Amino acid sequence: MRRFFILLALLLPIYGFSASFAVAAQPVTDAPNTQPVRVLVTTNSLGFLVAEIAASLIENKKLELKVLAAPGRDVHYLDARPSFIAAARRADLLIETGAGVEEGWLPVVVSSAANPAINEGRLGRLRVAEHLTLRQSITVTGPHAGHVHAAGNPHFNIDPLRMALASRVIARRLGDFFPDQRAELIKASFLLEKRLKDAAKKMAAQLIEGQRFIAYHEDVDYLEEWLPVINIGYLEPIPGLPPTSKHLRSLVEQHKGDALDREPKPRVIFAAFNPSQGADFLKNRLGWTTHPVPIEPEQPNWESYLKLMIIWTDAFDKKY
Amino acid sequence: MKNNILRKSLLAASVSALSVFSGSALAVDKTSDVDVSIILEGIFYNELSSGTATPAGFGEADHDGHDHGDTEEGHQHGFEEGFGLGHSELAIDAGLGELFDGRLLLGFDKSNVSVEEAWVKTRSLPAGLQLKFGKFLSDIGYVNSQHNHSWDFADRPLVNQYLFGEHGLQDVGLQATWQLPTESYTLVGIELLQGEGGILDPYAEQEDVFEEQDAGPRIITGFAKFGPDLGADHAVQVGASGGYASQYVSGYDKHFHGTEPHTTAQMGSSWFAGLDGVYKYSSGKAYGEGDLRLTSEYYYVERDLAQYSGEYHGHDIGTSSEEYHFEGSTKGTSYTEKQDGLYIEGIYGVMPRWQVGVRAEALGLVNKKWSGGHGANLESLDASYRYSGQVTWRPVEPVFLRTQFNHKDFSGSDGSSNEVIVQFNVALGAHGAHSF
Repeated sequence: MRRFFILLALLLPIYGFSASFAVAAQPVTDAPNTQPVRVLVTTNSLGFLVAEIAASLIENKKLELKVLAAPGRDVHYLDARPSFIAAARRADLLIETGAGVEEGWLPVVVSSAANPAINEGRLGRLRVAEHLTLRQSITVTGPHAGHVHAAGNPHFNIDPLRMALASRVIARRLGDFFPDQRAELIKASFLLEKRLKDAAKKMAAQLIEGQRFIAYHEDVDYLEEWLPVINIGYLEPIPGLPPTSKHLRSLVEQHKGDALDREPKPRVIFAAFNPSQGADFLKNRLGWTTHPVPIEPEQPNWESYLKLMIIWTDAFDKKY
Repeated sequence: MKNNILRKSLLAASVSALSVFSGSALAVDKTSDVDVSIILEGIFYNELSSGTATPAGFGEADHDGHDHGDTEEGHQHGFEEGFGLGHSELAIDAGLGELFDGRLLLGFDKSNVSVEEAWVKTRSLPAGLQLKFGKFLSDIGYVNSQHNHSWDFADRPLVNQYLFGEHGLQDVGLQATWQLPTESYTLVGIELLQGEGGILDPYAEQEDVFEEQDAGPRIITGFAKFGPDLGADHAVQVGASGGYASQYVSGYDKHFHGTEPHTTAQMGSSWFAGLDGVYKYSSGKAYGEGDLRLTSEYYYVERDLAQYSGEYHGHDIGTSSEEYHFEGSTKGTSYTEKQDGLYIEGIYGVMPRWQVGVRAEALGLVNKKWSGGHGANLESLDASYRYSGQVTWRPVEPVFLRTQFNHKDFSGSDGSSNEVIVQFNVALGAHGAHSF
């Protein structure tokens, strides 16, 4: 028995030393013929930003991009799969949305990955939401029953203007891994920012202003941040709690009157993976249209994200 | 004394590492992260028809009341007829910066509290290595390391309960794992466990001591897990594990023929090996609709034992001052007990927030057990079976209500039995992420 404690006593200072050493060591990746820098992102939205900013690095096999969540899945509810842990084990940089959206699975993935490079606080870990101003969540002090959106509404990927800011954050972090490419990366992010802002402006201009919509979850309400539309409520009583009939009836009561007098009528917009029953209830009672939309791009690239923006815009009535 | 050495070196390591972290501009202060969660469970249990309670070859009742090492735990796990508090827990998870993750988990029922887990795990070792020390659930197999609120049934699989214990294999020790830098998840690990005298390594109380308890650690285990990337819809993990307990002292019996004492015990060692697999299909629909989960485990145990008997020296035999002195034990015939067990279960999300599950179990397909008494005869006992079905409703994520039906066909004289369990489980507070 004693020998195990002696062993432990020997191991622990070594552990302390190696942990300190690992912190002190900066990622040095500009040496020729090194392994590619492995960048792991949780969603295609984040992957799209990396792919656009670091397109030439990816092409030259200096950066390897991997996305964990398949598009069309609710990022709140993924399993901490073994394949995710294996990817995290090998990652040099892990970029996550943050603000609690990956809380149900990513902490287990990271703590099981045995990869200190992606521990919180390291250069190899980027939680994008911490660098943005998020929409206030309606449950900042709410119960733990639903999703914990205490840091704000984490679904900023539905807002191209915040995505533009996120691209800047990501470019700066990628610059830490490719010091000699820093200027090019930041320049690429500026170009991407401009493309995102221009596309958002152009699409916003197409819409009849002041259109109202109800969201299923606290996610697509980000549309009101860049389109001339107004969010007037949620099908979920609290983010993460499924719509209750009581809550749905109260929404109908609340909007029975104003549905008649103003055109265009409000609509219900929700992520395609959410059940449609709640939206159908409002459709039947109020005659509103319902619009299931994808909330993640099919592929981590500009074309897919632009297509997504068009789908979101098409959920509203246009001027012409 | 030993503890002091440990504590001091731990402190020294933490201080040396932390002093460097504080100098780093990147060191975010997350050192005070503490998550507390309470799992409260209510159980209603009803035995519809009673039958054999303990599978033949796996209980304390089958060999003239001999103790087979089932240890008393601080709180109840079997179900009482009627209402019960089930298995409730208070869990505190905390981190020490990026040095350690730690957990304290207390299990309790209406009158008892016991420490089920108390460990720290490293998260800054290089090269895919991790160490965990303290009291923890062994990572052998699949269900062994899970808590019952994440099980798909209200009760522990028979193979885990009867080969490893009411808490599974849960012990104080050290675990080292290495995750290979491969594209597919590949993890290997070993554990040195103290051996608390559970089913795997019982140590019977002896009035005349045949053998002192060995110094710990008395159990060593090893395991490997593999999980390839199968895309968005499918995920799989397969594993193999085994272990060895260096001491097994059971069946101690002292009785008298007239005034002459006769004492026997079985002593030796035991080992086990098993396979486990889990497959998950993820439909991508909300609230678990269309999701499928299949899990199976098989374990085999062998105990290399010998029958020992006590040697006594008699004084003044036949007189009124006749007495006997214990002089040690002699080894008799050797024999090998062999037992195994398996389960397979499937869970399907029939609609949003509703799951149905079925489980089939066998225990003792191989069931060679010492037949008791003075000899070294082995008897081959029949296998026991249990079939279960359940329906679970999750109105919201941290709450579930489950109704489970069990048909138990245990080998023994009293026939089969049926039971119904209604389980209500609530996770309060910041409940952490779940493992695969």
